[in-house]
Amino acid sequence: MKKTTFIEAITQAMAEEMERDEHVFLIGQDIGLYGGVFKATKGLLDKFGPRRVIDAPISEVYIAGGSVGAAMVGLRPVAEIQFADFITPSMDQIIQQMAKMRYRTGAQWTSPMTIRVCCGGDVGGGLYHSQINEQWFFSQPGLIVLLPSTPYDAKGLLKSAIRGDDPVIFFEHKRLYRWIKEDLPEEDFTVPIGRAAIRTEGKDVTIVSYGLMAHRSREAVDQLEKDGISCELIDMRTILPWDRETIFESVKKTSRVVLVQESSKTGGVMAEVGAAIAEELFDYLDAPVTRVCGLDVPAIPFAPPMEHYFLPNAEKIGRVVKKVMAY
Amino acid sequence: MPAKTKSKTAVSKPTLKNIGLSEETLMGLYTNLLKTRTLDERFRKLFRQGRFAGTYFSAVGQEATTVGPTYGTREEDIIAPSHREIGAAVTKGIPLVHIVAQVYARINSPDKGKTHPCHYGWRAKGVISPSSTLAGQTIVGTGCAMGFWIQKKDNVVLAFFGEGATSRGGWHEALNFAGIHKLPIVYICQNNLWAESVPATMQAGIKHFADRAKAYGFPGVTIDGNDIVLVHQTAAEAIARARAGEGPTLIECKTYRWYGHSEIDPADYRTQDEIDEWRRKDPLDRADRLLQDLGILTTEKREAIVVEVNQEIDAAIDACEKEKYAEPEEAYIDVYSEQFPVRRDEY
Ligand SMILES: Cc1ncc(C[n+]2csc(CCOP(=O)(O)OP(=O)(O)O)c2C)c(N)n1
Repeated sequence: MKKTTFIEAITQAMAEEMERDEHVFLIGQDIGLYGGVFKATKGLLDKFGPRRVIDAPISEVYIAGGSVGAAMVGLRPVAEIQFADFITPSMDQIIQQMAKMRYRTGAQWTSPMTIRVCCGGDVGGGLYHSQINEQWFFSQPGLIVLLPSTPYDAKGLLKSAIRGDDPVIFFEHKRLYRWIKEDLPEEDFTVPIGRAAIRTEGKDVTIVSYGLMAHRSREAVDQLEKDGISCELIDMRTILPWDRETIFESVKKTSRVVLVQESSKTGGVMAEVGAAIAEELFDYLDAPVTRVCGLDVPAIPFAPPMEHYFLPNAEKIGRVVKKVMAY
Repeated sequence: MPAKTKSKTAVSKPTLKNIGLSEETLMGLYTNLLKTRTLDERFRKLFRQGRFAGTYFSAVGQEATTVGPTYGTREEDIIAPSHREIGAAVTKGIPLVHIVAQVYARINSPDKGKTHPCHYGWRAKGVISPSSTLAGQTIVGTGCAMGFWIQKKDNVVLAFFGEGATSRGGWHEALNFAGIHKLPIVYICQNNLWAESVPATMQAGIKHFADRAKAYGFPGVTIDGNDIVLVHQTAAEAIARARAGEGPTLIECKTYRWYGHSEIDPADYRTQDEIDEWRRKDPLDRADRLLQDLGILTTEKREAIVVEVNQEIDAAIDACEKEKYAEPEEAYIDVYSEQFPVRRDEY
């Protein structure tokens, strides 16, 4: 059987959910006639028609806010923001409407919807086609934030997002779209929101990551194994609400932790994960909680050597893990 | 629809026939106008007495712009309000006790005390509890209309906002989208000449905000917003068009708020002449005179309505002042669905 790519997994999730529930509809730029700039919605306009696959004008405020309204009257919107870089106009609607609808209205009105956001670097996209800004949403309670790293998780989590009653920001790392492939089950499946995955079990050090960095961490783990360091690799998958239990259990076992994230260091997801570990597990730690992150600069620069310099990779992660082990 | 609709009540001797509304409708409009005015003035007084927290956004003087369009809508139709839509809340039929509880932020408020005064909402009657971000509900309300369009339902949305909100980018995106798909929505701009302290002339380079509709390919009309009959009829026509799948309308109602932006605003940026001029155009007074001229309102009848309205308001206030606030820990409630309980920090 042909292996399923990350992007095919996403297309399958949407098609199957649209088949299953007539309230699911898609809205976004270039998603209909064109099938999406990355072809995530290929073939869906023909299958479901123009009221369920809506080619939107260039209106990121409306794509987000209009989806909230549709969700309030019983639909299950799946909106696409073509690049995370262009989600800024949507922020008003995401933060003020989508995230707060249930809270503000005493749960009279809710916003069960998903915004798919194509994100991430290592693709030569430059300042405005490489951004990954999950931390903005991570600091907004009321939102669910997902950032899968495998086709299986992408499909299963997207289905959970569409079926669930909460508003979800679903990040898709574009570097993974056609690179990562795997066999997927024939039958329907979902992946639970809020559960991290232990990718490799180990005893010396815990590495926590997500998205593309879960793969870079995996490469580091394989190398470190050869150097005699046994790493436990955790892929968060759900960024908010994050799986404290799985991460804490692992850190209690290994007593050392390295946190890896692609976006800038300051105020990032790992700043919170690290602070929580320091707060709760101080007595278990044998070394400082340590991060490997993207640089604290405005965005990923374009010129290839600079982009490479910005991003964490297996080499950098390996070096940091060794430092933590030597502490 | 013509760019400017003429008032049918301006003729020297109005009759029910040449107005084209039933006695029941006229009395309904009048009663809701009176109830809104009475409740609004009462809230102002209660605020000055320190009986609820926050501030209060009075809509006195501009009630016809919300009562008129809302009267006669269906239960499933959606009201997408901003902060000065007490008239829509009353007319759509939110029980007064919930309206008062909202202002008092008590546990029986539909929002459980989470949002500040004048954010009336009530799911059972299709009224959205608004956010404070101006034009917010215009955008979300357009999304509700998109939802109706996708499902081929004939419900409509009434989106209310001030002229100030029309300057926002998201407002434009929403109306632009509604124009593309002929969504079932009516946009009602309450042009009360001021956005907080900013005059309408500093808000846009056009004189009539309804002219903005041209850019979206649907009709825009500018009307006298203090003429309840004209407002109701113009909106009813637009609602019928929206319901029939003929698309949106932007109705600009020229009106005026008598008091400050909120009760903490002395509104000293306006001249007394301007205020006096608009007080003479009081929509309630005009409705009252019209109904008397038509012979359907007498002094006794008015007195009876006033007594009834005041009793209802007294009872609602009384009930709410006896209610508790939600327990402080309820701050942790309604963040997510039950699937995701929020981790609680205790300090
Ligand atoms: C996005 C946003 N900006 C600013 C404010 C602060 N603010 C609240 S009401 C208001 C004036 C609104 O004017 P208009 O839309 O004409 O409505 P009106 O108050 O006259 O009814 C302002 C500036 C806000 N609530 N939201």
